[in-house]
Amino acid sequence: MILAPLGCSSVKEDESDVNKPHYAMVFDQNKCTGCGECKEACNLANNLPVGKSRLLMEQHSGGVEGQPCPHCGKTTECGCERKFVRVSCQQCKDAPCVTVCPTGAAHRDEKTGIVTMDAAKCAGCKYCIAACPYDARFINKETDVADNCDFCLKSKLAIGELPACVQKCRYDALIFGDINDPTSYISKLLRVKDSVRIKPEFGTEPSLRYIPIVKLGV
Amino acid sequence: MDGNIEFTMGLSDGLAWPWPIAVYLFFAGISGGALATALFVRFYKNQTENTPFYKAAAVISLVTISLGMLCLVLDLTNPLFFWRILVFYNFSSVMSIGVIALSFYIPLVAIIALLALEEEVRQYPQLKMLLPVIEKLKNFRRPMEIFVLVLALSVCAYTGFLISALVRFPIINTSVLPALFIASGMSAGAASAKMLAVSMFKEDLHSADMKLLHGAEWPIMFSEALFIFMIAMSLFTGNEGMQSAFAAFHTGTWSWVFWLGVIGVGFAGPLLLNFATSHKFSHSAKAFYASGLCAVSGMMCLRMFILYAGQQYGI
Repeated sequence: MILAPLGCSSVKEDESDVNKPHYAMVFDQNKCTGCGECKEACNLANNLPVGKSRLLMEQHSGGVEGQPCPHCGKTTECGCERKFVRVSCQQCKDAPCVTVCPTGAAHRDEKTGIVTMDAAKCAGCKYCIAACPYDARFINKETDVADNCDFCLKSKLAIGELPACVQKCRYDALIFGDINDPTSYISKLLRVKDSVRIKPEFGTEPSLRYIPIVKLGV
Repeated sequence: MDGNIEFTMGLSDGLAWPWPIAVYLFFAGISGGALATALFVRFYKNQTENTPFYKAAAVISLVTISLGMLCLVLDLTNPLFFWRILVFYNFSSVMSIGVIALSFYIPLVAIIALLALEEEVRQYPQLKMLLPVIEKLKNFRRPMEIFVLVLALSVCAYTGFLISALVRFPIINTSVLPALFIASGMSAGAASAKMLAVSMFKEDLHSADMKLLHGAEWPIMFSEALFIFMIAMSLFTGNEGMQSAFAAFHTGTWSWVFWLGVIGVGFAGPLLLNFATSHKFSHSAKAFYASGLCAVSGMMCLRMFILYAGQQYGI
């Protein structure tokens, strides 16, 4: 009963070139408290303008507007339900930003397969921003070029560390790894946990997986 | 929640492509449309002389595409990055292919305009050094005209393909958009070239060329209306995202732009001016210019509506 709707949004797994890594990230909604430290870590690691990060946290509520909150009972806006969704580049396997970029600035890193930016090539046309089905790209106001979450490819992965947000998360809500490696923790996790992708109907095969909160006590 | 997880926030701030892009689509459409119409007339009637309409179309085409390029460059986050689009290419990108087409199109339009204005150039002794160039270029005139006709239609269509690649927006992500932009580019391009031909190049209001263009106007306008109707119907009968985007036609500011600007000014304007007024008025210069301005303004409204309402209703 619970599994059926979750399964509906999965997309056929493409078993292409297993010799190459396929980096993916899991966001576990059950563990995230919405503290926002991931955003600060992102800002710091990637030298972004003040207050900007490559990800956002969107708060959701199971309550109905005007009705008492199912958690605290208040009828006014309480925001007490700690239910968050990570909003960031979904690292699509078939990435529209890479397809539309006229200069090849938005590209897939040869070695890791991660969608990233070559800032020296970006002309600032914003085609990638308009083309992204997830609205997950933005213009860095300091450099005037487009930017996206590339799992800290140049800042952290380059020195053999995990992405800044993953390192920072105190609740293990973020898991990062190579899903082409069957022995990696993320592969093992995905084998035992149901996960979904956001808007799979766009057919871009995103690499971000979400483990949604499952309602209890029904 | 249908057992799914979603987010509605975005990382970009507001619209990725604001009005300068709509103005660029407008100018590129007029440029391609005006030149294509003039070349169709030229080939159809086997003209070899530089007719006033041909001259006007060449001038309009060159001026509008230059202004369009200016809009495009100014809309970049940093206009000084423009050279990167010209140096780096990505053949899977519609924009990159457009850049290639435009880098052939713009110089060719300049040559066509130079050849079209040969008599005018002769009147000015200061421009004498251009005459040997014109003589040389004349030898390749026919192949250049054929090539530029293909490019002119490609540029019109390209503006449609450029934005129809944006999968997030149901109004924009439609397959008829390139066809719609060719049709509306031709009607507005022909209208603006006609006005310039009469005002600047002393074309007679009722000349044979003008009659031919008047006759072609209505079928083009009809196909334009048909394409808009096709988009509206596909949204109306489409999936959830498309149905919610259909609201653009009946709610919000942009529905006013659509009904007053596109339908009222763009379609009803020329129709009423031509068929609902006395024979004397509908054949006057006043009606001619009013009807031309209506067609051009309607086209601008259409581009604004498609781009703004389009980006407002995302999935």
